[in-house]
Amino acid sequence: MRRRALAACLVVLATTLAACSEGKEQRTLRVLASPELADIKPLLRDLEEDTGVTLDVDFTATADLDVPPGSYDLAWPASDRSYLLRLREERRRVPESTAIMRSPVVVGLTPATARRITTGKPLTWADIADAAAEGTVRFGMPDPRRSDTGRAALVGVATAAAGTGGALRRKDVSCDRLRGFRSGQTLTGASSRELIDTYVRRQGAADALIAHEAELLALNAGRKLKEPLTIVHPADGMVLSDFPLLLLDPARHEPYREVVDWLRRDDVQERLARATWRRPVGADVPRPPELRAPIGNALSYPDQLAVVRRLMDNYGDPGRRRAGDHVVFLLDFSPSMRGARMADLRAAFRGLSGADPSAAGKFARFYRGERITVVRFAGRVLEQRTVSVRGAGGLRRLNDVVAGGGLAPDTAVWSALDHGYRLGADAVRDGDQRPLSIVLMTDGENNTGMSYGEFARRYARLPAGARAVPTFPVPFGEADGRELRRAADATGGRVVDAGSSSLSQAFKEIRGCR
Amino acid sequence: MPEHARPPSVEEPRLATRRPAAPRRRRLPRHVLAALPLALAGLLALLVSGNALRPFERITTIDGKMASKSDFFKDPQVRRLLLKHGIRVEIHRLGSRGIATQSLAGMDVAFPSGQPAARLIMQRQQRTVKSARPFVTPLVLGTFREYAQTLAAAGVARPQQVTGGEDTLYYDLDMRKFLRLIEERKTWNGIGYEKRSERSNSGRVLVRTSSVCESNAAGTYLSILAFVKNGNQPPGSEPRPKGDAAGSGDPVLDVAAEVKPLINLQGMAADEQADSYFSDEGESIAPVSLIYEHQFLAHQVAHRERHQRQDTRRVLLYPSPQALTEPQLISLGADGDRLTDLMETDEELRQRAIELGFRVRFSGENGTSEQLNAYLRDHHVQVPVPNPDQTKADAPDLDALERIINHVGSCPPAGKGGVS
Repeated sequence: MRRRALAACLVVLATTLAACSEGKEQRTLRVLASPELADIKPLLRDLEEDTGVTLDVDFTATADLDVPPGSYDLAWPASDRSYLLRLREERRRVPESTAIMRSPVVVGLTPATARRITTGKPLTWADIADAAAEGTVRFGMPDPRRSDTGRAALVGVATAAAGTGGALRRKDVSCDRLRGFRSGQTLTGASSRELIDTYVRRQGAADALIAHEAELLALNAGRKLKEPLTIVHPADGMVLSDFPLLLLDPARHEPYREVVDWLRRDDVQERLARATWRRPVGADVPRPPELRAPIGNALSYPDQLAVVRRLMDNYGDPGRRRAGDHVVFLLDFSPSMRGARMADLRAAFRGLSGADPSAAGKFARFYRGERITVVRFAGRVLEQRTVSVRGAGGLRRLNDVVAGGGLAPDTAVWSALDHGYRLGADAVRDGDQRPLSIVLMTDGENNTGMSYGEFARRYARLPAGARAVPTFPVPFGEADGRELRRAADATGGRVVDAGSSSLSQAFKEIRGCR
Repeated sequence: MPEHARPPSVEEPRLATRRPAAPRRRRLPRHVLAALPLALAGLLALLVSGNALRPFERITTIDGKMASKSDFFKDPQVRRLLLKHGIRVEIHRLGSRGIATQSLAGMDVAFPSGQPAARLIMQRQQRTVKSARPFVTPLVLGTFREYAQTLAAAGVARPQQVTGGEDTLYYDLDMRKFLRLIEERKTWNGIGYEKRSERSNSGRVLVRTSSVCESNAAGTYLSILAFVKNGNQPPGSEPRPKGDAAGSGDPVLDVAAEVKPLINLQGMAADEQADSYFSDEGESIAPVSLIYEHQFLAHQVAHRERHQRQDTRRVLLYPSPQALTEPQLISLGADGDRLTDLMETDEELRQRAIELGFRVRFSGENGTSEQLNAYLRDHHVQVPVPNPDQTKADAPDLDALERIINHVGSCPPAGKGGVS
C-alpha cells in the first residue's frame, strides 16, 4: 500500500518537473519595442527568472507600429496613441494595453542657452519657437514621421501653438503655425536614440534637444556631454508617453498578464525608475530626486488621425533644410488709413517682427530665413522693399518702410494685386523654391487702375506656378469684402476679416496658411 | 546606472531563447536527490493530515473579461478567498462596452461595470444565464483640492460638511453649472485656479474620460450629460417640452449632438482613468478624471493604512444629478455559474467588497450604505454623502443610449460579436 503511494508520489513529482520545464520552453514572447526602450534589457533576465517568461525583443518599432500580422505577440512602444487611432479608424479590434512607465516630452537646453532665453518666467514652447525663429536656439528633435517621441513632441508644440486649451482639431492645423519653430531645427534622427547619438558626436550642431525627459536625464547621467543639459518642462504643457505593453496575440494572454504584473510590482517599478529614468506608474514608488519635479500639465492628444497626419505633412522631412517662406504684403496707404488704422498696421508689423509677447505672436512671428516683401500702394505702387530675415537689422528696415511711408490719394486694389502676381511670376521664372503667398490689406474700395475683371483675366494667363500663389485678403473698414472674397477663392487663399479683431490678430491667423 | 552607455546594436536585443532541454538525458541533480526523502516525507505528512494536496488539487481557472471591476478580482484577499473554493480568475481587461461588443469565445464570465453593457451581453446569450449583481457604486469625478476649491469659488461645487475641522474630501457638483463652464470655453486659470494654487493651468475646464465606445463610465457620464441637456429628463422618453424647430427631428440625436462637444473636447480618450488619477503624476495628467466611487474609497483606506492619514490632495466631486452604476457578473457556462453563485452567497467575499469601497446589496434591500459607512468610520476615512439632494439622472433606454454613444464616439457597430 505504502509502496504504491510512494511510487505515485514519485510519478507526480516527475511529471510536475517535466511539465514545468516544458511549459517554460514555450513561454517566449516576441516583442516589438521602441528603440529607446533598449534600456530595459538588464531587467529581462530577472523577469525570466521570476516569471519563467522570456521576452524576445526587437527594438525596431516605429511610430506607426506597423506590425505584420502574427509576427509579434506583444508591442511595447513609447506611446500607442497613433496605433490605436489607426485601429479605430480601420474598425479593428483594440488590443489589451497596460501603461508601464511615464515620461513627458520636454526640452533640454545647454546651460548657456537656458540662461540666455530665460526671462524669469517659466519657459514655454512659445519661447522656444520664438528663439528658434530669431535664430538664437538651434534644436534637435526626432523625425515625427518615424519616431513616436518626435511625434509626441510635434503634437505638443502644435497644441501649444494653437493655444485653445483643448485638443487639436482639424481647423487648428489647416495652417502651419510651426514654420518659425521649424526654422530652428538643425538635428534629427529616425529615433530619439539616433538623435541623441548624433548629438553626442556633434554637440556644436544644436543647443537644445527635444525628447523624453528620461532620455535627457540618461544622457546627462552618462557624462558624455561637455556640460549636462538643463531640463525644462515647458509651462504651456507637454505630451506624456506611458510606454504601454500591448497584447497583440490574445492567445498569449496568460504570460502577458504575468509580465505586466511583474513590471508593475513596486520593487520592479522602483528599479525601472532608477535604470531608465522613467517615472513609475504605480503610486508612492520611491524614485530618484530628478524624477520628483512636477511635470506641469499634460496636453490633450487629438482624437483624429487626420489631424496628426496633417501636422506631419506640414512639418515635412526635418532632415531637409526647408526653403523659408516668401510673403508679399500689399499694404493700402491711401488717406483713409490715417490715424488709428495706420497705428494698428504699424503695431501689427512690429508684433510680427518679434515684439508680440503673446504665445500666438511668438509662434507667428517672422523667422530667420523667411523673405518678406512690403509693397505700399495707393492709386499706384508707392514703394517696395524686400528683406531676407537674418537678424534684427533687416526687420528694422522693413518696419521703417511701414512706419515712415506717407499716404497718397486713390486706391488701386487690383493693380496692386496684379503687381504682387508679377513678383510671383518672376520668382517662379527664377526657379525660387520658396513657398510664396500674398497678403492684401486694404480699407477702401477700388477706385482707380484695373478692375477686378481685368485682374482676373491677367491672372488666368499667368504660368501655373504663379497661379498657385494664394492671396489672403484682409479687408479693413469700408473695403469691398465681396470682390476680395472672389480673389481669395480664385487663388486658393481665404479672407481674414480684421473688422472684428485687430489687424495684428488677422495677420497672425493667416501665417502659415497655404 | 542607466544603460545608455552601451553601444546600440541590432543583434544584441534578441535574447537567447531557452535551449530545449533534452528529455532523455534529464537527470535529477545530486542535491535534489538528497532532498527527495525529505520532500516525500512532507508530502506524506500532508496526505496523512488530511490537508490534501491543495496545490495539486483541481483548481479551476475562470477566464473573465472585465473592466474596472477587475479591481475586485485583482485584490489579493479576494484571490485567496476564491482559491479556498478552488477558483482562480484570469482577468482579460477591456472596457465594459468593449466586452459587450467583442467576442466572448473562450470566456467563462463577463463582468461589465454597468447595466447598459450587461444588458447588451444578456441579449446576445442564446439561453438564460446565471448572473449576480453584488454591489453598486456611483459614478464620480476625481480631482485635486485646488481645482475643487476653484470650482467651489465659481459657485459650481459645494464642499460637504465634515465634523472635526478637517478639510473635506467630498464636494457636490452642480452639473448644469459645470457644463456651462465647459460650453463657455473657460480655462482653469480663467476661473481663478492660478490664484488658488502654486500651479498654473491654461487648459480648458474639461473632464477626462475613457472612450465612450468602450467604457461603461464614459457611457454613463454621457447619460448624465444627456439628462441635464434634455431638461432633466432622459432623452427619447417623451417629446421635448420646448418646440425646438431647429433640430434633426430626432430628439435623441439632437441631444447627442449637444453633448458631443462636451466630451470630444478632451481629444483622444485614455483608458484606465483611475490608474492615472491615483498615480503620482495624476494632477499633471488630468485635473478632473471620470472614475467610480469605490476606486476613491479603496484608495483612501489604503492610503490611511500606508501613511496613517487620508490623502487630502485628492478629493471627489459628486455630480448632481447622480448616476449609480451596477456591475453584473454574467456566467457563460458551468464554471462561471460557480463564481456567480459564490458572489451571491459567500459572506466573506461580500464583506471584502465593502472593504474595497463598494456599496453591497444585502438581501436585495436598499441598506447598501450602512456597512460601508461603518467600515470607513472604523478606518478613519471621512464618510461621503453621495447624493444629498436625491437627484438621479435616469438613463435613457438602451437603444437611445446606444445611439447617443455611437453618435458621440463614431463607434464601430455594437452587438455584432467578433469585431476583430
